[in-house]
Amino acid sequence: MSDFSNDYNIKKLNKKNDAKVGEKFSPTILRFIRRKWLNIWNCNPPGLILLLLGATVALIMSIPIFYVAWRSLFAGKSRWTRLLDQRIPQLLWNTVSLTAVVMVFTLIIGVSLAFVTIRTDIPFKKMWRWLLALPLIIPPYVGAVTYIIIFGRSGWARNFWRSVPWLVDNFGDYPINIFSFWGVAFVLTMFTYPYVYLITSASLRKMNRNFEEAARSLGMNNFQVFWKVILPALRPAIGASAILVALYVLSDFGAIAMLRYVTFTAAIYFQRVGFDTASASVLSLVLIVITIIILWIESKTRKNNKYYQTSNTYRKPSVLKLGKWKTVTILYVSIIFIVSVVLPIIVLVYWSIIGIRMGALDNRFIGFALNSLKVSSLAALLCMFLSMPVIYLKMRYPSIFTSIIERLSFAGYALPGVIVALGFIFIFNNYIPALYGTFYVVALAFVVRFLPQAMQSGEASLSLVSPKIDEAARSLGCPPWLVMFKVILPNMLPGVLAGGALVFVSSLKELPATLMLRPPGFDTLAVRIYFEASEAIYHLAAPAALLLIIVSIIPLRYMLSKY
Amino acid sequence: MKKFSLLIALVLTMSFVLAGCNTNTDNEQTEINPEVPSENVTDNNNVDPGELVVYSNRNERFVQALLDKFTEDTGIKVSALHGANPLQLVEEQRNVRADIFISNDLGALGYLHSQGLLQGSNPQGIESIPADFRAEDNAFFAISVRSRGFIYNKDMISYEDMPKSNEDLFDAKWADVENGYAITRGGNGGMIGHISSLRYEWGDEKTAQWIDSIRTHAAGIYQGHGDIRRAVGAGEHAFGLVNNYYFHQQLVEPENNNVGFIYLDQGDDEMGAIANAAGLGLVNGAPNNENALIFLEWLLLPENQVLFVGESLELLINSEYGAEYPEVVAANIVEFKDLKSQDMPIKELGNYFEDTRALIEASGLDLDLR
Repeated sequence: MSDFSNDYNIKKLNKKNDAKVGEKFSPTILRFIRRKWLNIWNCNPPGLILLLLGATVALIMSIPIFYVAWRSLFAGKSRWTRLLDQRIPQLLWNTVSLTAVVMVFTLIIGVSLAFVTIRTDIPFKKMWRWLLALPLIIPPYVGAVTYIIIFGRSGWARNFWRSVPWLVDNFGDYPINIFSFWGVAFVLTMFTYPYVYLITSASLRKMNRNFEEAARSLGMNNFQVFWKVILPALRPAIGASAILVALYVLSDFGAIAMLRYVTFTAAIYFQRVGFDTASASVLSLVLIVITIIILWIESKTRKNNKYYQTSNTYRKPSVLKLGKWKTVTILYVSIIFIVSVVLPIIVLVYWSIIGIRMGALDNRFIGFALNSLKVSSLAALLCMFLSMPVIYLKMRYPSIFTSIIERLSFAGYALPGVIVALGFIFIFNNYIPALYGTFYVVALAFVVRFLPQAMQSGEASLSLVSPKIDEAARSLGCPPWLVMFKVILPNMLPGVLAGGALVFVSSLKELPATLMLRPPGFDTLAVRIYFEASEAIYHLAAPAALLLIIVSIIPLRYMLSKY
Repeated sequence: MKKFSLLIALVLTMSFVLAGCNTNTDNEQTEINPEVPSENVTDNNNVDPGELVVYSNRNERFVQALLDKFTEDTGIKVSALHGANPLQLVEEQRNVRADIFISNDLGALGYLHSQGLLQGSNPQGIESIPADFRAEDNAFFAISVRSRGFIYNKDMISYEDMPKSNEDLFDAKWADVENGYAITRGGNGGMIGHISSLRYEWGDEKTAQWIDSIRTHAAGIYQGHGDIRRAVGAGEHAFGLVNNYYFHQQLVEPENNNVGFIYLDQGDDEMGAIANAAGLGLVNGAPNNENALIFLEWLLLPENQVLFVGESLELLINSEYGAEYPEVVAANIVEFKDLKSQDMPIKELGNYFEDTRALIEASGLDLDLR
């Protein structure tokens, strides 16, 4: 990478290789190993401390998951066969069908909204663009609570239905059952479509007009252009966002548990709550395998789908006139917005007002809020600190080792909090009992879950810092790890802090890992929402939920600027 | 270098400050010596009056007021883990953290005792608890009793049309009543006790069929009884299998309170109502043993036994201590001694606990939610 460090390393190499005959190791072999080592690092190996730091982070990130998988192998043959016969087929069907349905619906809604807000002349385009991303700040389990209040068996909709004789006479009893497959699919769709919407919008905005004009000149009409030109070009974006949605559905615990639907994640949680940890780890292994298959499919499709944009002739895409479709389009966009944002917020505000009047904001509430704050800020701090070695290694010292370290650091991101928590319980209860049952463990679990968020935003800002700065520092005798903390970190602080804020908000909302790892007397807002809502005590659940949503506005700007 | 060590010191100090409650003496030390491992901090809580760690699988709203009053009376701070499963004590036995386990199900306490996880003691006032409701070495004892039965919505179904016994639930016709009926999931402590009693009465085979019937026919399978009584009150289900005090709770709701209750199997040749008791055990090796003993003696005071019932509206074993109920509930109280209840002594439940769980798991009811 840099001439200086090459010379430096070669000199070091020569000095150390002044070996004498009869030494324990043959100098030839040593030289061979050194050469190989340098080749791996492209003649620019990182310092040992930096490498160790990075490797340690990767270990912490991935051990819990490997440990869960390992434990599942010792669950015993009878347990395996019993689960394979009785549980796994049903869970597999529940999980996979739900994932598939939510993927299809989020794709339809996300892509259509992206197209409408980017490529048509819909009024108030700019406003729609960010309004439609707002469901991002509503955690799906909070969304589930609001829809139980609206559509539940004794919800607002039923009361309305009963108060209208015409409806009862013509259609009989209230027909909606939110506690069903379609109820779960609906709630998850409404609160995860922004993943698809944002990524597709970004890709649409970058599309070149020339392709479409070429297609039109061949006599295609608007619909043909959409199906044959635009949609194929969006395939990478659509694929990537579909994977995000799928991973989310696989890992969701709160929404499905509140809607009383059982997927792998919920089954693992309930097995664990009943302390059948062996079965929990068997189910976890199956879920890990499903996740890996999904990630594998994604990497496969990415390789086969390459679309090139010619940048030198780039022209902004044309805007489609809606004409007579304008009313219909506005109606469609408004309905999605009302269902995914307005209604849930109205429900929460309504119940929060009732709750606050009844004194919900008491000392206990403040205690829960402080607990949330405490554990999330510790997680955010740790993430900012620990992401540095990994991204620094990745950007400045690319090699097979660094990509392994980076991949392992991503392990917790793709996997449900339930599995991370399960691994943590195994490890801390058995090997580090002093930390078991303290809130440090909860924070560490958050780090495993959300470190990649800090890494992604740190990476973006590190790419703006020139390697020349590193070289200058190195030439003054600093070892790489010190360069990273002392010279590079201050330069990329805004990006690191943004990453920290993201981790902070994700940690505030994290539910299953908190539920499984929290020490006695340490409830967080997320845990309270879950307990109060599952007991139908909405006036206590709503203020906490509303607070989480308000706090989440902070990183929304960051996320929107990213896409 | 200076900046870097400053950063480390900052992160470490931050985490200690965040530890909050027990950093009072350690702050200075951490700033001088950042390598102090964090576990040293938590060891430092023998300072008067110390704390008490309570695991509870009872509804939080029933327990928290009791614990708050204990803190108020004694100054001992209580850390509570609500929604704890008894088996958590089994898992943590080499790393005991809990002092007291409060349970809705005497079976769970009996099981824990049989595993050597509870320790005997002789707290003052223990003789007020009848021998049937405590372990021989007093390692656990009960304060309140409850019996199982059906809460039903009087707007939807009449007393005459309701099922009256456990046997009745074998019949598929109950799946067809308006909006069906509700049960809890098999992992619920009340359900475990219920099924243990059925096994005592019927044996495993018939009980397994019964589990299968309710699993197939129930319209709703819930996490806990609180949701069931609310759902029945609101007309989401015609009836639900709950403990009698959930009926009492629904009566005091401002709305949706037109509910009735059926004590099961009260006929001459029938098994009698399935009863269970709520109580607590002293954890073996409790880290705050002294405070745990203070808690036991405090709880045995008549006024605090009454408070144990508290918002739950259960029945006191020592009914003469006079738990006070709202008027509407008082009119519906059926004294425990006036009921025909099961032959099985409640203390026996513990011997059934483990196999009952296995039976429930084999049926698949442990994971069901609907």
